[in-house]
Amino acid sequence: MTGAGTAPAIELINVTKRYGEAVALDRVSLQIESGEFFCLLGPSGCGKTTTLNLIGGFIPLTSGELRIEGQRVNDLPPHQRDVNTVFQNYALFPHMSVADNVAFGLRMESLPDDEIGRRVGEYLELVGLSEYRDRYPGQLSGGQAQRVALARALAKRPTVLLLDEPLGALDLKLRKQMQVELARIHRQVGTTFVFVTHDQEEALSMATRIAVMAGGHVRQIGTPREIYLGPVDRFVADFIGESNFLDGRVASNGQGPAFQLSNGTVVPIPTEPDGTQNGRVALMIRPESVGVGRGAPGGMTPNVVIDGRATNVAFMGNHTRITVQTDAGILVALRFHGESDEQAVEEEMLDQEVHVWWDPRESTVVTADDLRGSEEELRGGPEG
Amino acid sequence: MPVSRHGGTVRWSLRLVFGALIVFLYLPILFMVVFSFDEGATPGLPITGFTLHWYEAMLNNRVLLRAVGNSIIVAVIVSILATIIGTMAAFVLVRARIRFPNATRIAFTLPIMVPGVLIGVSLLIYFARVLDFSLSLGTVIAGHLVVTVPFVVLIVASRLQSFDRFLEWAAADLGASPRQAIRHIVLPLIAPAILAGALISVTLSIDEFVITWFTVGSQPTLPTFIYTRVKFGVTPEVNAVATVMLVLTLGTLGLAGVAMGRARRLTGRMRRRRQAG
Repeated sequence: MTGAGTAPAIELINVTKRYGEAVALDRVSLQIESGEFFCLLGPSGCGKTTTLNLIGGFIPLTSGELRIEGQRVNDLPPHQRDVNTVFQNYALFPHMSVADNVAFGLRMESLPDDEIGRRVGEYLELVGLSEYRDRYPGQLSGGQAQRVALARALAKRPTVLLLDEPLGALDLKLRKQMQVELARIHRQVGTTFVFVTHDQEEALSMATRIAVMAGGHVRQIGTPREIYLGPVDRFVADFIGESNFLDGRVASNGQGPAFQLSNGTVVPIPTEPDGTQNGRVALMIRPESVGVGRGAPGGMTPNVVIDGRATNVAFMGNHTRITVQTDAGILVALRFHGESDEQAVEEEMLDQEVHVWWDPRESTVVTADDLRGSEEELRGGPEG
Repeated sequence: MPVSRHGGTVRWSLRLVFGALIVFLYLPILFMVVFSFDEGATPGLPITGFTLHWYEAMLNNRVLLRAVGNSIIVAVIVSILATIIGTMAAFVLVRARIRFPNATRIAFTLPIMVPGVLIGVSLLIYFARVLDFSLSLGTVIAGHLVVTVPFVVLIVASRLQSFDRFLEWAAADLGASPRQAIRHIVLPLIAPAILAGALISVTLSIDEFVITWFTVGSQPTLPTFIYTRVKFGVTPEVNAVATVMLVLTLGTLGLAGVAMGRARRLTGRMRRRRQAG
């Protein structure tokens, strides 16, 4: 199904897209390997949809090169590209039945009728809509329309399937269900998926790799785990998941890499950050890595402990969220239930002096000055 | 809960005015229909008895039937030409990036507002003095196109305007060339609007009088024939002809309404989907 060659399924080399003065994409380079579930993640206006539309061939590149399976396709019109798209609003043809929608692309290929019939059946089966083949798009729910769009695109057996926020229009429950479904379909058909979303949870749960975009640039590319645990800058850390940021500067405590918090405390950090010492930096710790309690931490790991006051305790169902004001900044800690007598948490901590601690190995130093710049770029950039 | 103490009075007087208006608009037409079935040779009250005699007379009147035939020929040709020209113009108006879109739109639709007398006189001068054409059904057709094309442009352009461009992207994405996308996706979806434009052209052409009067040659159309006949006194035969015309016109307009309703329903579905997105 996919090419046996070593060329990546999709390759962008220094791709720039300008709309008049506005720069939607600025010298973006990335490679998407065959079979990946690749996610373009970022806030609106970051250039992710522009990237998708460039790959689909709907808008022309300003400069740079786009390759599909090693072939330069800059000037190839969309109907000659071996990629198919699931549009955000599905774009089902309202005057055709579900089966005719799925068959449309195959008829354009002039496949024999029995082959078309076989494939329509196969792909409607794949998305679980076999009984709906004679319905019209106007008679489908959002989730069903979404599946038809998916079947219609997949029936062409493209090298790459592009998905433009396909779950955006669905309600929360259905979206979770479709996330699982999409992952299953990806495993089943083995096609390369390129998925655009602004929902970090969607990206983390489905993607094999994520490109975090902002202001027309790619900030970081990596597996969900790499990006969550080792964000390159404060923007990425803030966009993916929730984070605590403590201001300060990189210092040395004589025994290894260390970080001096704004209250003067020097805490150890896992590795010496290179090249970031001169810029503004922050120490990032994920809330689930922060421990909190009235007594000292147990365990054998050499934890960093600082003191503070619990200013808010919120019960969140399966966990409790504790906000602690320290003189180095505000820290949010999550305490998952089932560890100890949780009913006591609230009475125990609210407005009390507490200790917060974390394992230095779970903290990361990130550059902080990037954040402002990217926000401004976001405001200036075009939609997409 | 009444907002004003006079609410009831106001409502009643509004109803009265509305009723009077309806009577004013439709009572003459009603009388025409009734008189076409009246036995009396000079139509008028009181009604003396019911007869289909005038309809029979109408069917036996060679000259009248020829006028009806002329009208139908003109209407069909006008409808076909207006639909083709108007649809192409609508595509240009909506799709081509022309320099002055609003001015162009107004230029396309202005003939609707221009008085028919003006169009008629200018066409007569143009045909007779500039082109040196002799007046015939051909000149009538040209005259009717002036007023029917704008309607087709308006109807088809508004449909194209609301057309979801993503549908064409999807067609291209699935391997359709631009030509195939127009043929399989765009045209079927705007077909109801095109049909509505064609039907409205038929009704406009059938009962167009003013422009016809200036551009018609020796072969009268139905309205010009009725007019010349009325000069010698209204016979119930004319009432019968007018009644038949009324029924046909209303029927055609009804079909156009159905077509446009279908167009709106398709668009509505697409809209809802987009709003959900």
